[in-house]
Amino acid sequence: MDIRILLVDDEVDFVETMVKRFGIRKMPLDSAKSGQEALDEMAVREYDVVILDVRMPGMDGLETLKQIRERWPLTEVIMLTGHASLEAGMQGMNLGAYDYVLKPTDFDDLLDKVRKAFERKQLNAKAHKQGA
Amino acid sequence: MPRPTSRVPEPAKRDQGPDQGILARATGARVWKDHSLLLWAHFLVPPVLAALVVAATFATPLLAAILAAAVLGIAAFSARGLLTRLSGAEESRLALNSQLIQSQKLAAIGELSAGIAHEINNPIAIIAQEAEWAAHLVAEAEKAPGADFVEVKDSLREIRSQVDRCKNITHKLLDFARKREPVLQEVDVARLIDDMARLVDKEASYKNVTLVRTLPQDLPSLRTDAPLLRQVVLNLMTNALHAVDTGGRIEASARADDQALEININDNGSGILPENMDKIFNPFFTTKAPGQGTGLGLSLCHTLVTGMGGTIQVDSAQGQGTTFTVRLPRRPGSKP
Ligand SMILES: Nc1ncnc2c1ncn2[C@@H]1O[C@H](COP(=O)(O)OP(=O)(O)OP(=O)(O)O)[C@@H](O)[C@H]1O
Ligand SMILES: [Mg+2]
Repeated sequence: MDIRILLVDDEVDFVETMVKRFGIRKMPLDSAKSGQEALDEMAVREYDVVILDVRMPGMDGLETLKQIRERWPLTEVIMLTGHASLEAGMQGMNLGAYDYVLKPTDFDDLLDKVRKAFERKQLNAKAHKQGA
Repeated sequence: MPRPTSRVPEPAKRDQGPDQGILARATGARVWKDHSLLLWAHFLVPPVLAALVVAATFATPLLAAILAAAVLGIAAFSARGLLTRLSGAEESRLALNSQLIQSQKLAAIGELSAGIAHEINNPIAIIAQEAEWAAHLVAEAEKAPGADFVEVKDSLREIRSQVDRCKNITHKLLDFARKREPVLQEVDVARLIDDMARLVDKEASYKNVTLVRTLPQDLPSLRTDAPLLRQVVLNLMTNALHAVDTGGRIEASARADDQALEININDNGSGILPENMDKIFNPFFTTKAPGQGTGLGLSLCHTLVTGMGGTIQVDSAQGQGTTFTVRLPRRPGSKP
């Protein structure tokens, strides 16, 4: 089953590289340039995993994370943090992020975490169905 | 000194009635369904011997003396055993009680604070919006020649930063109250700890603090809830970082035995005052300056770890350092 991934980052170069690298692995990746764009995108399409930069102009990553977790609690979020900011990492985990990845990103590490986040989403979805 | 609330006493065997259970624990005799022979022996042997002593007194005084000594010996021995077992039982009952109280207290406070956090979130959002709007108006008005709004802008900035502070608190409260059903997946704990340590590294280096990882290569993976465990580890590491002085040392280690996987976060920082040992897991208990800590970190850890079926303990010597130990059962539902 395909993992539906949304990458939210205002850094165009980074997004392009990621689209390519995920593409090579036959994993299509959508992207959004801001928190607002991400929320709009998610309103029309379902995503399993969101990779979210915490430092963006406009609505900041943590606020975006909070809204995503409120509106789509099953979707897992992996944070991208620039320079190992403890405060942002801590708040992100508190707001329900699945994990975080440091920038510059080790691709295999990111891929691994995306897979793990997806696994959790499926487990969660199954549990919800049984509970209902 | 290990925190007593964390010790989980052994539950009584389920197939025994309550009286039999108590008797069995007090006497140390195992009672299987109908085979309560040992128990009977425990109570019947001393009077039988006593009767023999009485009988022997009429025969030979020497035999009577030997028998009497034996009876006294047995009685003393079993009384001592009874005492230690009783006090052990009492201790574990107290431990169980305080663990229950702690959990109930956390649940009640969780509910209450979620209510408050919800209520406060809305006005905070409005204040933030208004501050932003006012900033916009000021920026417009500033375009007029000679206008100077430095002070107004300062106070708007201050409003923003205070609103952020409130938001941080309400987020923590809401998180604290969130009901979480752990989602179990195979987790590489060594990597998880190293990942969290990397978040702390940078800040630690500012303080010239070293964060050592002692993670065995062959640490088994664990079926647990990854993001919850990340929160626990990160909270403990952050606390350790706050507790150490410049040049301090923090060590994150892990090991596994048959029952449990154990994570230790040790620091050589300030340590915890003996009179605070009983309070550190309470919500809102903090020794940090106002605005520096909400005192929710450890109570969250307690809630999360207990929710995962594990235990969390603290060991601290004032002025020497502190170790937090988290034990998580390797088989879900078993004892950690
Ligand atoms: N490693 C440690 N060494 C010494 N004292 C500690 C340590 N960890 C916790 N404490 C004590 O326990 C208190 C409560 O910790 P807790 O994490 O719950 O709250 P906090 O760190 O003060 O605030 P918050 O975590 O909400 O920002 C701390 O204020 C501190 O006094
Ligand atoms: Mg703390």
